[in-house]
Amino acid sequence: MKKSAFHTTLIALLAIGCGVALTACSDHSAPATTPAAQEQAQPGQTQPEQAQSAQAPQEAKEVVCFESRKGASEITQKEIEPGLLNVKCSPTTGAALWYGDPYQDTMPMGKMPLLDNIPDDKAVVRPRSEHLNLLPLCGTSCHNNTLPPDARVPPTLPKNNHPAPIPTMEGMLPEIANLQHGRGRIWCLECHHTTQRNMLVDHFGNPISFDQPQLLCGKCHGDKLRDWRDGIHGKRIGEFASDGKKRWFVCTECHNPHNVQDGERNRGFIQLQPELPPQLPHGMVDASHETRHPIAH
Amino acid sequence: MNVNETSPADPVQEPLPECPTPAASANPAASEAKTSRRGFLKTGGMLSLSSLMGAGALMTKSDDALAAAEWGEHFQKNYRLMTDAEKAESRARLERRYSEEYGKAVTVDTTDPQPGVLMGYALNVRKCIGCRRCVKACVAENNQSRGERPGERIEWIQVLRMERGEFSEERMNDGYPEGLGIQVGGNAYTPAGQVLEGQYHYQPDAVPEKDATYMPIACMQCEKPPCVKVCPVRTTYREGDGPVVIDYNWCIGCRMCMGACPYWARRINLTTPVLPKEAMNPVTHYLGNRPRMRGVVEKCHWCLQRTRHGRYPACVEVCPVGARKFGNLLDPNSEVSLVLARKNVFRLKAENNTFPKFFYFYD
Repeated sequence: MKKSAFHTTLIALLAIGCGVALTACSDHSAPATTPAAQEQAQPGQTQPEQAQSAQAPQEAKEVVCFESRKGASEITQKEIEPGLLNVKCSPTTGAALWYGDPYQDTMPMGKMPLLDNIPDDKAVVRPRSEHLNLLPLCGTSCHNNTLPPDARVPPTLPKNNHPAPIPTMEGMLPEIANLQHGRGRIWCLECHHTTQRNMLVDHFGNPISFDQPQLLCGKCHGDKLRDWRDGIHGKRIGEFASDGKKRWFVCTECHNPHNVQDGERNRGFIQLQPELPPQLPHGMVDASHETRHPIAH
Repeated sequence: MNVNETSPADPVQEPLPECPTPAASANPAASEAKTSRRGFLKTGGMLSLSSLMGAGALMTKSDDALAAAEWGEHFQKNYRLMTDAEKAESRARLERRYSEEYGKAVTVDTTDPQPGVLMGYALNVRKCIGCRRCVKACVAENNQSRGERPGERIEWIQVLRMERGEFSEERMNDGYPEGLGIQVGGNAYTPAGQVLEGQYHYQPDAVPEKDATYMPIACMQCEKPPCVKVCPVRTTYREGDGPVVIDYNWCIGCRMCMGACPYWARRINLTTPVLPKEAMNPVTHYLGNRPRMRGVVEKCHWCLQRTRHGRYPACVEVCPVGARKFGNLLDPNSEVSLVLARKNVFRLKAENNTFPKFFYFYD
């Protein structure tokens, strides 16, 4: 634990040095890095810096709401036309409730097998890589083919598929310490590229962008890929016509790739706070009648 | 208006009451007729005066868009009988009134059904997590009343939470009478697998809860809608592209449709709707989400102001799990058609022969 905390602080320092706002919008990194770093930050100078970076968005009073699951893609509220917001957020849960512009910050999805006939401007996605805070570090800070000055052993590729615990990694992503996805049948390099660590990998060893995780997930989940391709699985917003312009939500916007089944719950989607219940009928004090069984037992 | 025209004759009759009692006529019937006529004219005069005063009150403020619009709204036809010119006139009137009322440029769309489109809806009950985001998105889009007093908060979508039942090993051999084990699985006093009727007001910290399923219910846009059959003023009807809509101006608030609907989909504005200016959605449709008045019934219309222009309904766009699917039933490649082709589909209360275009499905 001490080791991992130290590494976390290191990473946090690195991130601040690079000018990356760790706190603003975070994918998997935030739960790991910021609380740990803030709690256990021993060097005195890091804490005020972090506090500033954390307070900065609050002072600007930016309204940020999450789109599908909490902790994944987020969207900042702004006015796109006078009187028209790009998104309305729920005051209760902070979830996106209404889209004024469904195509904000999107780019063409790119070609996929069996979807070649869709014009580029009709299928768009919101790039994931901009919202993965650790991703810019992956290919540059550590896995950049240079050794840190204090490294005693040059990094080598693992000899077998049994991953050795790497405290730095586990400090950043606690979920990978006991990787749930695949129930112990797969490991990191089934999905992540061996040498290009800011890319994913397909069956042939070719790199896949983090913006197109569907190409990766379809390696195993073919039935889901088929349904997703046809619009039966997953979420799309925009125009409903089959040839209309749609923003497709990609796999990782709704599912956490490292813990898809949410541990013991074994469901594909995490739990969320629900919105407020409907108004009670006139004269009804509470809704306890709903929770009483008709026959006591 | 005929009553108004009699008013000039009224002063002529005015001095009559001041005269001494009229001479008794030889014909009592004539006398009776005379007095009754006088009484009639008098009442008529009073009536015309009061109606003129009312009209005057409206007319003197003729600059006031609100008054002018309301005056015109009282005399407009049922939407289905309007000519294009009358629709345009009504639309301009409403836009003027709403823009003034809500302090922003409100548009009232009158787009007709698009050719070749029959809207359909599918919902994956297996995926729904009961987060009620669709409910709130619907409110944000469709200008429902959102006050705090009773009856002022209107939501079109209801999410029903259902238990899966409680089965436990300890109670496996509960029988009737106790211990004899005749009726395996509980008895009339201690039933096993008992479930609640269903909850609308559930409020846990996080959904989905263990051992619960959720079923959102809204208007099913039936092909044979019972609400349309019972409407005495024929203000609710099925549009050509599928949705069942309401011309709010012709609704008399009798609530026959609410009683007829087997899906509890209709709501009434018992009070004047509470719609804050800043929260009002200015993009509206005449048959859809334009602000309603007191005493009219409203319901889901599949966001006509969006879907007539190709956009998904608001509830589809916010569903975090993608359980809601919307599309054109006539297009074999649409999402709904593919769901119907591939998945296990059922319709709620199909035995009522209402033929909903809202399908529930599961993987």
